[in-house]
Amino acid sequence: MNPSQKKILAASLTIILISLTVWVYSGREIFTKNQILVEKKDELFPDMVQKVWVDKFIWGLDLTGAIILTTVVAGIFFYRRLRDKKK
Amino acid sequence: MNKLSISLLSLVLAASSLSAQTFKVKAGGTQTFNFEDKGGRNQVTFFSTTPLEDITGTANGISGSVTFDVAEFARTIKGKLTIQIASMNTGIELRNKHMQSPNWLDAARFPEISFEIKSVYDVKQSADNKLEFKVKGDFTLHGITKEVIASADATYLDESEQTKKRAPGDLIGVRANFTINLSDYGVDNAVIGNKVSEKIQVGVNVVGSNKK
Repeated sequence: MNPSQKKILAASLTIILISLTVWVYSGREIFTKNQILVEKKDELFPDMVQKVWVDKFIWGLDLTGAIILTTVVAGIFFYRRLRDKKK
Repeated sequence: MNKLSISLLSLVLAASSLSAQTFKVKAGGTQTFNFEDKGGRNQVTFFSTTPLEDITGTANGISGSVTFDVAEFARTIKGKLTIQIASMNTGIELRNKHMQSPNWLDAARFPEISFEIKSVYDVKQSADNKLEFKVKGDFTLHGITKEVIASADATYLDESEQTKKRAPGDLIGVRANFTINLSDYGVDNAVIGNKVSEKIQVGVNVVGSNKK
């Protein structure tokens, strides 16, 4: 493994780790969401709780998976391309 | 003779206690409440839980009405609630499209879900203006109608300065909960890889006004 290949490997692993960390801290949702539900009490009818959609990006496992797959494919491509050529 | 008198008295008391299970509010007579809500606050929620994911969805395209005699709520109530499938939202646009597709709810052929009240029973008065009860009705989904029983409560508010901020007239707030099996309505949850549960919990939160 030459220094360029080491850099590719390190960069790929870093991207994969970051995307997994973001996913874990985003609540480990399966699917990426652009909206979440929040509960709002009704002033006139206190027993009633209305669910309201609020725009919020939630990083899901699907997005993490897509990033990992892309990183692995790109990593393999550059790893092979940066091989030392045999003399 | 004494026993007969006691039995009769018990019957009278039981009958009067049953008839007492109605709203004790200023309004009287037959009232019709319309649930069309331009503010989009009226809502039906549906909840599915599977090992993979819990899904909560909402629908705000609600219309319909209930009519009842304030003095005889349980005996006289009738009404229907309709939900537009196009207004259902699960928080993921792609999933909404799947839900409305021909493989699932087929919104093009069956654009509405409805619930029509058949009877109300087990009425309990939890406040002067609040009743808790069971409601039996016809639930129609995907073009198939089945009878369901929901646990419900209704709160009656006479018109006041506070209620006028929401809508003119007296208001009634209704909550109901029941569970349906998707297979009963010809909806195959296996089509989408069991990401949705066979049992769906349905919740209704609606406020209606007796003035347009």
